[in-house]
Amino acid sequence: MLGFISARQAGLDDPLRLRRAESTRRVLSLELNKDRDVERIHGSGINTLDIEPVEGRYMLSGGSDGVVILYDLENFSKKPCYTCKAVCSVGRSHPDVHRFSVETVQWYPHDTGMFTSSSFDKTLKIWDTNTLQPADIFNFEGTVYSHHMSPIATKHCLIAVGTKSPKVHLCDLKSGSCSHILQGHRQEVLAVSWSPRYEHVLATASADSRVKLWDVRRASGCLFTLDQHNGEKSKASSEAANTAHNGRVNGLCFTSDGLHLLTVGTDDRMRLWNSSTGQNTLVNYGKVCNTSRKGIKFAISRGCNPEFAFVPYESNIAVYTVYSGELITMLRGHYSTVDCCVFQSDFQELYSGSKDCTILAWVPALREPVPEEDNEKSLPLQSLNPAYEDAWSSSDDEG
Amino acid sequence: MGRRALYELDWSDYSASSGSEMDQKLSQLVEELTTSGETQLNPEKMKEFKKICKSSDEHINHAYHLLMTQLNKEHAEIRFSAFQIVDELFTRSHQFRALIISNFQEFLELTVETDHEQPLPPPKEVAHKLKKAAIKSVQDWHEKYGEAYKMLSLGYHFLKQNKKVDFQDVNARTLAERRREEEKQKRLENINKEKAKRAQQEMAEMSREIQDTLTEMENCFRLLMPDPFDFTVNDAELEPVIEKTANGGEPASISMQLADCQPSSLRHIDDEQPCCSKDLSSILPCLKADKNGDMNEELETSDRRRADGEGCSEVELAAATGDDDYETFVRSHGLGSHKYTLDLEISTDIKIHENEDNTSIINSIVDAHKLIGNKFLPSVQLWIQSFTRAGISDDRLRCAIDLKNKLESALEKHKDMNIDYKERKRKVMKVSDDDDEDEFVEVPEKEGYEPHIPDHLRKEYGLDPLSLPKPVGKKPAGGSSFLSSRSQPKRNEEELDPTCAAATLKLLRDKLPQFPLLDPSVSASTEPTASGEPDSKATKQEEERVKAPIMPFGLDLYYWGQDQPTAGKILKFSSQHRFWAPNELEEEVENKEVSEMLKTRYITFAGKFEPVKHKCRAPMPDGSLCERQDRIKCPFHGKIIPRDESGNPVNPEDKAREEKLRFEKQAQQPEWQDPEFMREVEAATGVDLGSSRYSGKGKKKGKKKKYPNLTDLKQQANTARSRLEKKVFNKEAMKRVVKAMNRMDRKRHEKFANQFNYALN
Repeated sequence: MLGFISARQAGLDDPLRLRRAESTRRVLSLELNKDRDVERIHGSGINTLDIEPVEGRYMLSGGSDGVVILYDLENFSKKPCYTCKAVCSVGRSHPDVHRFSVETVQWYPHDTGMFTSSSFDKTLKIWDTNTLQPADIFNFEGTVYSHHMSPIATKHCLIAVGTKSPKVHLCDLKSGSCSHILQGHRQEVLAVSWSPRYEHVLATASADSRVKLWDVRRASGCLFTLDQHNGEKSKASSEAANTAHNGRVNGLCFTSDGLHLLTVGTDDRMRLWNSSTGQNTLVNYGKVCNTSRKGIKFAISRGCNPEFAFVPYESNIAVYTVYSGELITMLRGHYSTVDCCVFQSDFQELYSGSKDCTILAWVPALREPVPEEDNEKSLPLQSLNPAYEDAWSSSDDEG
Repeated sequence: MGRRALYELDWSDYSASSGSEMDQKLSQLVEELTTSGETQLNPEKMKEFKKICKSSDEHINHAYHLLMTQLNKEHAEIRFSAFQIVDELFTRSHQFRALIISNFQEFLELTVETDHEQPLPPPKEVAHKLKKAAIKSVQDWHEKYGEAYKMLSLGYHFLKQNKKVDFQDVNARTLAERRREEEKQKRLENINKEKAKRAQQEMAEMSREIQDTLTEMENCFRLLMPDPFDFTVNDAELEPVIEKTANGGEPASISMQLADCQPSSLRHIDDEQPCCSKDLSSILPCLKADKNGDMNEELETSDRRRADGEGCSEVELAAATGDDDYETFVRSHGLGSHKYTLDLEISTDIKIHENEDNTSIINSIVDAHKLIGNKFLPSVQLWIQSFTRAGISDDRLRCAIDLKNKLESALEKHKDMNIDYKERKRKVMKVSDDDDEDEFVEVPEKEGYEPHIPDHLRKEYGLDPLSLPKPVGKKPAGGSSFLSSRSQPKRNEEELDPTCAAATLKLLRDKLPQFPLLDPSVSASTEPTASGEPDSKATKQEEERVKAPIMPFGLDLYYWGQDQPTAGKILKFSSQHRFWAPNELEEEVENKEVSEMLKTRYITFAGKFEPVKHKCRAPMPDGSLCERQDRIKCPFHGKIIPRDESGNPVNPEDKAREEKLRFEKQAQQPEWQDPEFMREVEAATGVDLGSSRYSGKGKKKGKKKKYPNLTDLKQQANTARSRLEKKVFNKEAMKRVVKAMNRMDRKRHEKFANQFNYALN
């Protein structure tokens, strides 16, 4: 660290270098911190989380009871201990609350004044954050599994919606109508995601175990379908042709630079694809346990040197390096299946929502003071909490 | 801080580095402690264990892993003991806490049953105990360490909010259980409510009737006699009556006049003394008798008792000489003191006798009483019960209780009335008797004939069935004892049976009015026996008659001694044709069976059951005697023979036989095959030599159980059901059954193969 700083001072290093090194270190030291808490409001499992990209301060959460809650993550109390307060919520008593489980929430990428939420009650709602009233409601024929809005789009204002029907709907916020329908999948679409690199490129994952990339300007069909065997084996068996996984594909995430795409499927695999060629990079992540029937939301870090993927793994969160597929650690803390996690790239924090109704904040551990010789005596005093002390009875007979 | 460095030590490193005997001791201790099968840990071993753990964090690490392995065992007792150890260590070591909490999910799964797919292992009671203890501990831990260990508090909240564990609830019931309980409660409540509603409806319907009945009864009581309890209320009415009798009567007027001579006495007569007889009697003792005669008896008796009747005249004499006003009064009235109180004793033990005047009233009282006792009171009690069960405590309940009280008071009053029903009851009985057997009504008339029977024939008449009217007519006759002992309905039944004496009697009685003298035929049938036979024979016959069984009437008796012309003949038409009939016609065919049937009678003789009093008493291998009580033969020890105290046969031949048997049995088993010896050999070699065959109930301990103190789960699983299952769902058996069914199907198929609708299946 000091080396990095001096190198930075001397102007030897790229400014990005120090930042990367530090954020990587912080990500590696993520832990369940007792100082950070998220207010416990949800009465049922949490399906989705989203942190607004502008400030990285507000977080939305959607629960399986249809409730949407907005949290403030920033700590202004100047104390290490902080509980993220709920700023406002669309509770059960709200007149426009989703009737069934909220599957996806997303902030409007350019502003905190608006957010979107989609639910099993077959609707997608556009909310005005300040009044907490729905500005628009899109109705669909099937339950909505996922929706996404391009984070970089400037030329369009489309929301891609994956529903129970195999068609992908594109809703235009400008006109307030469903402008496009992308046909090609054979079963329900469980995850959709816009590329963070090309504003017209959309990736969709479906239960027919296919992942398709689309250019929304092309009406005729998809750009390509991802093939797990890179076209080699597919000649032999037409059945398995052009499938990304051997089961339902229920998670989809671009890397922050948009060059690669990660997918997870119910075949307990995670695959990394080159998003421009559609090639399977054949990175082996090992078994990524995944039994969800719905979409799962996982996150990829941003601004670290090896990028990390945070993937729900039953009641834990597995941390992999994206390009080498190495399992770094398992974050243990939830008591039930984890459904979603979201990465706050400014402070390298991770938030995860689980079926046990809790949102946990994973915060980088503070750098420990280096134990020195003269420090030896003062340390026991420092160990702050009496609960950490041992309580062996002093007498030898007692033990 | 050395400890922190140690935390980083990898487990594999650690186990490789420290292969000391301490570790072995630790694992041994953990195993012993967890497999003890007891609810309490052995304090000695625990102490040792803790001492080892205290020595270093490595050992705690080791202990943690050992304990987790034990917690993973599929036996609730092992888990429970392991959990207790965990609890002990948890409060002591930070290192241990950190380890447990790092894997708290699994720990909860194993102890609190958070994952419904991983239920706690059997035995059930221990599992329940484990769960309870674990929940309690988690709460305690949370209170103590919740702040410091985030995972712990998360786990606590998880249990509290997601699993809805009620930490206050000692029963550690799951949510489902609680819901089930609630539902049950609700259902019960609904049922109760329904019942209450029904009761309310019933009450609405019936209360009118009840009220009517109550009023009716009340009125009847009042008619029968004025209410003794209303006396005080009627005081005002009664007083003037008494006054009137006192003043209006001739002797009273005299007394008044006499009282004028002594004005002082009159002055003191106040209204509070309703009984004016007191002063009058004191002034005029001679009048007292008359006076009292006017008063009712109660007043009289009480008055007399109060006034100390025997001293009355003396005091009165003394009173005449008194000068003081007060004293003169007291004295002149023959009173001991001025403060007398008058007690009226009204006897409440009334007895009402029924007579012609009040028959109808009493009848209605009886009816009402019955109605209340049998119908109203139980139903009212039922209503109250259903109301209280449904938790209703408003007017409805009050109303019901009121009704109950009223009914009870009515019953009480009825009891107090003490109505003498005797006469009535008898009458009722008589009426019912009349219905049943009006023949007996004439009986008293019959007694008129007695004198006609000659004295020397009296005894014979007693014996003779023909003279049996006597006992019926309530006249005690020695010969009729066997008949009179029977109940009347039975006699009735007998009358239908022509073979029975009673029937003849009935016949006779029917004829009696026409023939005042004895029926000649009867006398003819009786006379020979009566006059010809000596007394001894007669008594013998009588005895026999007593012994003779009474048989139900049958066809055979109907034709007793007669030739039955049509007996067993069956009309038979050989031709079924309407017009054509064969000429020679043997229409009647004699059927022997039928004719036999008409002449035979089956008598089933069921002997009396005599309980077996003896026991087998053969000596058993365990030293006791056989307790079986078979009549002739014990299924285990053969014929039952007399045996002495120690079970040896008493008769020498039996003894010899048993000796022989034993000898033969021994001969069957070669000497070298001593069961004891063989068992030892088997244990040593592990080869089954069949020692178990010889020792009938020998302890067959195939191999030593690993943990003898734990509850044997296999043993528990070995229920009748499981054994049956093993038999029924045995592969071989299934195959056999399938085969048989297939065969049956094929047979059917073959049978109906040529019919298209069967051929297809």
